[in-house]
Amino acid sequence: MSMGKFKKYLSVVAVLAAVALVVTGCGASTTGGGTTGGTAPVSITIGIGAPITQGATALGLGMERGAKLAIADMNKSPEAKAAGITFTSTTGDDQGDPKTGVNVANQFASNPNLVGVMGHLNSGVSIPSSAVYSRANIVMVSPASTNPQLTLQGLKNVFRVCTIDSVQGPAAADRATGDLGKKAVFIVDDSTPYGTGLADEFGKEFTAKGGKVLGREKTGDKDTDFKALVTKIKATNPDLVYYGGVYNAGALLSKQLKDGGVKVPMMGGDGLYDGQYIKLAGAANAEGDFATSVGLPLAQLPAGEKFTTEFKAAYPNDEIAAYDAYSYDAATVIMKGVLAAAGKVTAAKVTSPEGRAAVIAAVAATNYEGITGAIAFDANGDTTNKAITLYVVKGGVWIPYVK
Amino acid sequence: MALSTLIQQMVNGVTLGGMYALIALGYTLVYGIMLMINFAHSEMFMAGAYVGLFTLTGLTNPKLVGSGAVAFLTKNGIGLVLLFTIVFLVAGIAVGLLGVVIERTAYRPLRNAPRLAPLISAIGVSIFLQNAVLLWVDSKALPFPQVFPVIDLKIYGNASISTLQIFILVSVVLILIVLDTFVGKTRIGKAMRATSQDRDAAGLMGVNINTVIALAFFIGPALGAVAGIFNGMYYGTVNWNMGFLPGIKSFTAAVIGGIGNLRGAMLGGFVLGIIESLAAGFLSTGYKDVVAFVILILVLIFRPGGLLGESVVEKV
Amino acid sequence: MGGSKMDIRTNVQSGSWSRGKIALAVLLGVLVVFAPVLLQGFQTMSFFVRVLGIIGIYVLLALGLNIVVGYAGLLDLGYVAFYAMGAYAAVILGEKFVAVVQTISNVGLRDFLVSSQFLVMLPVAAIIAALTGLALGTPVLRLRGDYLAIVTLGFGEIIRILATNDFLGLTKGAYGMMAPIAQPLGLAQLQLLPIAIPAIGFNFIFSVNLYWYYIVVLLIILAVFVVRRLDNSRLGRAWVAMREDEVAASSVGVNIMTSKLWAFALGALWGGLAGVVFANAQGFVSPESFTFMESVFIVTMVVLGGMGSIPGVIVGAALIAGIPEMIRGVAQSPLLAGVIDPTLASAISGYRYLVFGLLMVIMMAVRPQGMIPSTRRAQELHPEDEKVLEEEDQSLWDLKHGADRSEHDL
Repeated sequence: MSMGKFKKYLSVVAVLAAVALVVTGCGASTTGGGTTGGTAPVSITIGIGAPITQGATALGLGMERGAKLAIADMNKSPEAKAAGITFTSTTGDDQGDPKTGVNVANQFASNPNLVGVMGHLNSGVSIPSSAVYSRANIVMVSPASTNPQLTLQGLKNVFRVCTIDSVQGPAAADRATGDLGKKAVFIVDDSTPYGTGLADEFGKEFTAKGGKVLGREKTGDKDTDFKALVTKIKATNPDLVYYGGVYNAGALLSKQLKDGGVKVPMMGGDGLYDGQYIKLAGAANAEGDFATSVGLPLAQLPAGEKFTTEFKAAYPNDEIAAYDAYSYDAATVIMKGVLAAAGKVTAAKVTSPEGRAAVIAAVAATNYEGITGAIAFDANGDTTNKAITLYVVKGGVWIPYVK
Repeated sequence: MALSTLIQQMVNGVTLGGMYALIALGYTLVYGIMLMINFAHSEMFMAGAYVGLFTLTGLTNPKLVGSGAVAFLTKNGIGLVLLFTIVFLVAGIAVGLLGVVIERTAYRPLRNAPRLAPLISAIGVSIFLQNAVLLWVDSKALPFPQVFPVIDLKIYGNASISTLQIFILVSVVLILIVLDTFVGKTRIGKAMRATSQDRDAAGLMGVNINTVIALAFFIGPALGAVAGIFNGMYYGTVNWNMGFLPGIKSFTAAVIGGIGNLRGAMLGGFVLGIIESLAAGFLSTGYKDVVAFVILILVLIFRPGGLLGESVVEKV
Repeated sequence: MGGSKMDIRTNVQSGSWSRGKIALAVLLGVLVVFAPVLLQGFQTMSFFVRVLGIIGIYVLLALGLNIVVGYAGLLDLGYVAFYAMGAYAAVILGEKFVAVVQTISNVGLRDFLVSSQFLVMLPVAAIIAALTGLALGTPVLRLRGDYLAIVTLGFGEIIRILATNDFLGLTKGAYGMMAPIAQPLGLAQLQLLPIAIPAIGFNFIFSVNLYWYYIVVLLIILAVFVVRRLDNSRLGRAWVAMREDEVAASSVGVNIMTSKLWAFALGALWGGLAGVVFANAQGFVSPESFTFMESVFIVTMVVLGGMGSIPGVIVGAALIAGIPEMIRGVAQSPLLAGVIDPTLASAISGYRYLVFGLLMVIMMAVRPQGMIPSTRRAQELHPEDEKVLEEEDQSLWDLKHGADRSEHDL
């Protein structure tokens, strides 16, 4: 390559880089954060750990939205003003990758103002990260990691507001065999810890309740082609298909099932309970599909209605994704813990070792009516909110199922 | 297993394989001429699906083209043909041009570099394009509108084939025949073959090497884009990282067939699609990729040049 | 060719270092040993110790893959398989080892053995990975460059899928496995020595991150030593010959099959070692850590750094593993909290892979031979003529079977 050509080439690249940077700037200025001013209140940072650029980004970005909304709300609240605390957030993109997740955890730990982490999504990220938070006395509340091992490590600082698979799976199976009167199910999972666990637990209870499991298959969470699986399912003639996984692939499975002539409903967990599921599957295909989700329906909770309207106002272009509400609650639980700790050790001392211990203790003692229901934690740090609601797609929207 | 299930799995496999074949052609065209694995090819597939989606939503939006036009394009037979012709042409040309631009900026400076250098450059392009779509288009998966009239036709017992599957298969076969004829019979096709055999000698014989390479980088991505739209229509969604899996699979298909060999890529695509469907249907979906890769390894152990890789070699 | 042979000889035997080079080496050594201590001492910088540890693991992986790609000239797109084998071996066998050792009644000996479980696992995992390398290498040896690449890719995916599907009940599938819970050897003693200088906010405690960082550095030193010896050995010269022209190498007595197998086994070994460190430093192993993209990144490190060049590969690994984390670390560092708006910081870190992809393209365009090209590779024949290049790429198998890679029936 001659020098002249090289220079030309370099200038093209430089222009591209400049464009990228300019757009970066624009993107940043339009997203507008939720920081507030005031007379020198103490600034406490909440870490948001979620997959943003790789992995399940749709869910991760939803988590970020939910948590940021919670922080903005809390900053407006009289409690925070009275305590003289302003909450800020920093987002750590874990990419759904365990190694990057632990990098994020260490980065959070190196921030002296950061006392709590709302995250992570993937259990494979949450588990190794929780050990880092434990060493740094940071409280961690996961809105989405359902692997039982997470809270069985004996770490005092680890909590989650989502139910574990061993609660949700059996509850779903009870409803399926009971209200829905299903007798023969084909179970599919997406090979993630979440999907596998949910499918395992569902299958156990379904068999225990006298139902028949016709088959069990593993797919990938990024798969798009389920045609061969659908043909296989069709041959077994089930009256229900259970999918342990998240809506991105789940919606495609539902669509392909209906396209392939398997005209029975598909059922899944909270990973499917998302407006995007209906959009991707197509309203006609999703019609009659079921999903369980934790807590009572948003519409039945006073806070839930408020969340929905606030969300629409803050993010007019986005739908509420599967974990947005949990993330809102997880972040709120942490901030309430911080405020309680500030009451004990003063706001200025929340970031000190004793303050951090007080935050963890306060979170452990949480008793709060969140937007996903009543939130309190058991000795392991799992939510005691075991209310499971069954939803069904009717007329293109998720509504609570009524027999 | 009932025969009708087997037939149904074959239909599934052939449709999937047709899409693999289209993408595999892009890998093999570039490899044949440049001896380079174009890692960014899977992103051409993704880009094609997005351009196709936006063209289709634009043309079916009454606010943009008027409700009369929309009714004509979606309800009328001729309208549908017109609509999809436009969608495929726009996406094919746009992504083909993208391919040429990428070749010009990222690969051409590396033409005399060590053989792995363009591979790394291609990986960089792939990461860039994925993130560009993620950041500037949408991080969520987008539904692909079902404009194409899908009707299931019974063929044997419970087995059926849909109009969409027929459309995809017929289009793929037509494209393969046209491409085969183009490369085999036309002057520029001959130039491409000459370049793939010996670039310098072809240059000396008056073949414009840059044109040939640019053409390969236009046709390959354009075919990838067509496959991307098929993928969107068939599975009903597009996503910023949708190219990754089909990309690896199609590259595998190209190698099974014998990389650098056009007919090999076609054959490899269909073989891989059928193997995957049968493995998923009769063994386990969890292990279907293991079966596919084991068969790849077996094929290469017994035919190290791929299925069609060396049977066509003429020693000079 | 004659001239370049002379050059290789002199290059091999040139043991004398210039004064500048020695000074640079000493400076680098001091930095490698002490910089992390400084970073660890300041809380806001302590994050970088973890990043350095991860970079170290990738340096080890890149050095291992460099044996296969850089020295033997075989493109391996599934190197992550060996990394996974090492990590899973460390967890599965480490657990068994701890269980056996727990039965020892002598408390001192028991605790010593439990805490040194990862040291025991290092050679075990290295051997397992090397054997896996042989197992993969044997059937596919006669494949040419890019065919080999796709087979190794498939092999890497097979290993990951088997782990995801809980193959033989070994891996617990998607759930992943916790590493044996054991304080690593000597960490408790090292933590007895905190250094604090409150005046400047320096508060050093020997962290787990720092511990694994030093373990990785020791392994890297070992790897560099071994790889340098290999490069200058009979086997290393066989690789050079094989890489340049398989047919000619074979005709002068190089055993192509054994040379390739050695490359696979010796390359895989380092992947296994890196896996052990990763499993223990991370405390948890699951299949999502061993995706195809990991393999791609490791190949990128080797090529971008400079194939066959030890300093090049190290720089390549540091850049590829480090750049995204550095962008994030700097943008979101609390040090800049007042300077950069947090939303902007998040946005910048969101753009880091976009910039990273662009940088890869630019770096390859500017330095196609790699950041620090190998001197030996630079002395090789670099045919301008495509035909010569293709003849050199021809494998022994092709010759025997009358295939010629230069001909594609388009």
